[in-house]
Amino acid sequence: MAVDRILKDDASEEKGERARMASFVGAMAIADLVKTTLGPKGMDKILQSTGRGQSVTVTNDGATILKSLHIDNPAAKVLVDISKVQDDEVGDGTTSVVVLAGELLREAEKLVNSKIHPMTIISGYRMAADAARNALLQKVVDNKEDAEKFRSDLMKIAMTTLSSKILSQDKEHFAKLAVDAVMRLKGSTNLEAIQIIKKPGGSLKDSFLDEGFILDKKIGIGQPKRIEDAKILVANTAMDTDKVKIYGARVRVDSMSKVAEIEAAEKQKMREKVQKIIGHGINCFINRQLIYNFPEELFADAGILAIEHADFDGIERLALVTGGEIASTFDNPESVKLGHCKLIEEIMIGEDKLIHFSGCEMGQACTIVLRGASHHVLDEAERSLHDALCVLSQTVNDSRVLLGGGWPEMIMAKDVDELARKTPGKKSLAIEAFSRALLAIPTIIADNAGLDSAELVAQLRAEHHKEECNAGIDVISGSVGDMAALGISEAFKVKQAVLLSATEAAEMILRVDEIISCAPRRREDRM
Amino acid sequence: MAAAATAAAVVPSSSKTETYTDTKRKDDIRQANISAARAVADAVRTSLGPKGLDKMISSASDNSVIITNDGATILNHLNPLQPAAKMLVDLSKSQDSAAGDGTTTVVVVAGSLLRHCSSLLSSGIHPTVISDALHKTSLKAVDILTAMSVPVELSDRESLIKSASTSLNSKVVSQYSSLLAPLAVDAVLSVVDPQKPDLVDLRDIKIVKKLGGTVDDTEMVKGLVFDKKVSHAAGGPTRVENAKIAVIQFQISPPKTDIEQSIIVSDYSQMDRILKEERNYILGMIKKIKATGCNVLLIQKSILRDAVTDLSLHYLAKAKILVVKDVEREDIEFITKTLNCLPIANIEHFRVEKLGHADLVEEVSLGSGEGKVVKITGIKDMGRTTTVLVRGSNQLVLDEADRSLHDALCVVRCLVNKRFLIAGGGAPEIELSRQLGAWSKVLHGMEGFCVKSFAEALEVIPYTLAENAGLNPIAIVTELRNRHAQGEINAGINVRKGQITNILEENVVQPLLVSTSAIMLATECVRMILKIDDIVTVR
Repeated sequence: MAVDRILKDDASEEKGERARMASFVGAMAIADLVKTTLGPKGMDKILQSTGRGQSVTVTNDGATILKSLHIDNPAAKVLVDISKVQDDEVGDGTTSVVVLAGELLREAEKLVNSKIHPMTIISGYRMAADAARNALLQKVVDNKEDAEKFRSDLMKIAMTTLSSKILSQDKEHFAKLAVDAVMRLKGSTNLEAIQIIKKPGGSLKDSFLDEGFILDKKIGIGQPKRIEDAKILVANTAMDTDKVKIYGARVRVDSMSKVAEIEAAEKQKMREKVQKIIGHGINCFINRQLIYNFPEELFADAGILAIEHADFDGIERLALVTGGEIASTFDNPESVKLGHCKLIEEIMIGEDKLIHFSGCEMGQACTIVLRGASHHVLDEAERSLHDALCVLSQTVNDSRVLLGGGWPEMIMAKDVDELARKTPGKKSLAIEAFSRALLAIPTIIADNAGLDSAELVAQLRAEHHKEECNAGIDVISGSVGDMAALGISEAFKVKQAVLLSATEAAEMILRVDEIISCAPRRREDRM
Repeated sequence: MAAAATAAAVVPSSSKTETYTDTKRKDDIRQANISAARAVADAVRTSLGPKGLDKMISSASDNSVIITNDGATILNHLNPLQPAAKMLVDLSKSQDSAAGDGTTTVVVVAGSLLRHCSSLLSSGIHPTVISDALHKTSLKAVDILTAMSVPVELSDRESLIKSASTSLNSKVVSQYSSLLAPLAVDAVLSVVDPQKPDLVDLRDIKIVKKLGGTVDDTEMVKGLVFDKKVSHAAGGPTRVENAKIAVIQFQISPPKTDIEQSIIVSDYSQMDRILKEERNYILGMIKKIKATGCNVLLIQKSILRDAVTDLSLHYLAKAKILVVKDVEREDIEFITKTLNCLPIANIEHFRVEKLGHADLVEEVSLGSGEGKVVKITGIKDMGRTTTVLVRGSNQLVLDEADRSLHDALCVVRCLVNKRFLIAGGGAPEIELSRQLGAWSKVLHGMEGFCVKSFAEALEVIPYTLAENAGLNPIAIVTELRNRHAQGEINAGINVRKGQITNILEENVVQPLLVSTSAIMLATECVRMILKIDDIVTVR
């Protein structure tokens, strides 16, 4: 007799065929959801929040869409995770990786239905992925030595990345912004030094790159609005009276003049603190907390520019770019590292006044000011620009470059097909399926652009049978075009990451033959 | 709802037939977005133009009522739930911040473009093609508008006034446009910094609203106006000539420490002493103030303690010092800039060089009752700021006058930023429509088709203007097209006469920036709506 129940009441389990079915369906649904955002003519999605405020986001970024989804299906969660990892690692290709994994699973489903063991499929996929990677490695171009060419490569990559986003109309402008910003980093991948400020108003074209740092704060009243050769003290300290932090502390006095004396003493303490700060030999003081009227006046009297209430992010970046340290005690002026910059001045962007620090200690620092019609546009522009910056900073380190527009997929598919023919046994079926999955990417790009995908992909395949072919899908004219001539490039690192993580994710989901959902933990108070 | 959406997303779609239903869903979403956005546009359509009507908005939360003609204000209170409709509200906000005027126009144009887009979509054109065509059209449209515009000099006060009054003519306060328009122009011109002639910070113009009187009594004050009474409990002065003004951030009241304190009184004589000390303390402060020759005090509001007490008021009155209390902290910067003085945060720092000087500080009573304001005029070395005192017979009129004045100020500011004028009264739109129509004929493929459709979409502005004025829209628009085809590029609808005239001669002009930004922003928004193919419910 079989055991009735092994699992707890609320726990459920799905086995074998059913479990696999559930994972396939979940993963494919996710892939289909983001599929339409792929490529230069991909569409956007509205993300409507059910939380408070019902805020609305319009986006084309795969990672952003997936991150915010409600998902119940475990396999779908795996796909969301690989998209997140792709976002963290290389910044772009977040949609491609999910779509490729989805296609791999779609092909795998067919194979499983025709009674091929999942393990055979997996080993076939592995061989195919290796072959595909080698095919790419043979075709990469590396222009690291030639600065001129390298820069044009970066421009092309940036434009290709941006062409699928909201910035596509002004992609040249933004590609230049992004390349300039990344080149300033001189090889470091620390994107912290690139600050992005969003200011509604104007149009996207009015966005600009600024050398230096911009702080969205006001200068105190009566203080200098312009300081040359600034010595900056960045601090996080309370500028009101030092209070005894014991609850219920109070003083008892017996006359009004004593109260006045205490008040004077409090003022005196504030004054001493300000004197100590001034004693650092600074001419600019930036505090994370409020600076009250009294110290503000003291600073103004000493001709020091004081900025209050700079947020955490603001002072940390400021400390980073000016080379200073965040101080909170001021007793040892010699141990505090001051920040320096050449010029601090007040500038106006749109209707707002901002404080501009130029000639900072850390030369890499720069600010990109984004302008746009509305917050939706600005947020999406920031996401797009962030993608481009990520990809570029990765490319600066790994300068291998591929062509875009479905070209890498065709190259891979061709080599994988060849492998399939050479491989004996059932594995070859899986390898063939892998190549079909690869072809799905150019197909989707063409479909999204409203083109005849079957015709185009067939043409591409024929083209690629020749040696040294640069053919890819030219979405703008709706035909097969020379990708090298059109200047459509992609970073090798992105493609490799897409290929490998999609294969791994597909493999992981394929291996599953049982899903156990645990019983929800009971809340204690419901007893 | 969340569950339903997730369920829909999990439906697998591998076979051909299911892919078909999938695309159908996308079309549905696009159509739903478009119709929601158009509904928003239709809501404000009737308020366009000089004969446009107003809307009354009653708010459910606090039962307040607003009557307005300003597109941005109406939409701001609409609070739609549909995401695409929300985008249109944002669109009008952006126009408000970019140009300040034309907030209704931009939404109406976007609505009309969307209507034409939906017919293009139904004839099977890919959304991205439409979107690209729109982008090209908008660039071309800006070129055409720029070519049509007339340069204007800031010294040409007449032209500036004309454009300000065009903006005011469509508002509730239109009958006062002859008063408000010059006022707006003078206010903006007085804050333009000769060193940075392209920048106007509207925050340098303070608008003080005061109930009572009529809009006619609105005036510009070269100086400062506080919507407050002078604190004169004990017969202190209400009028000071040759004033030396101090802006103080401390309080003239008994001392209070930040740390909790209590005074323990054990016998009667001690109590007497404390009272005396308190008096001496305040007197000491006032003596120090008086020693610098200061005779007007502006005291910043403090949440911790009273700015003045009866006792200190009494002494201040004796010292002939005029006191205005409860000045907001945000206003301090404006005040110090205007008075050319420095705020004083401690009695020890009270020095002559921190004072501001003015010829006259007085409390003016406006009509009877509570209506009193404090005016500071004849300020020495006044900063580049100005104050406008707006009056109105009831709160609704007052608010609307404030909004209209803001629009007019924005219009003048646009002209300072970009010194070009363009005709009003639907003339630029019909000319755009004509030239774009001609341009579409030289384009190839789908693009030409789309551009042609957008050219027609722009006719919505003259059409609505005529409709709102009770004219026959079809007759007027056809006539207008006819006149423009004959080369009269400035022919527009003269709503007052109900016919077509040269609109430049009628002095109906608006800044170029308003028109160009309306076109750019409307197309940008429409393109964004077009590119959306799914609404995903998320956390």
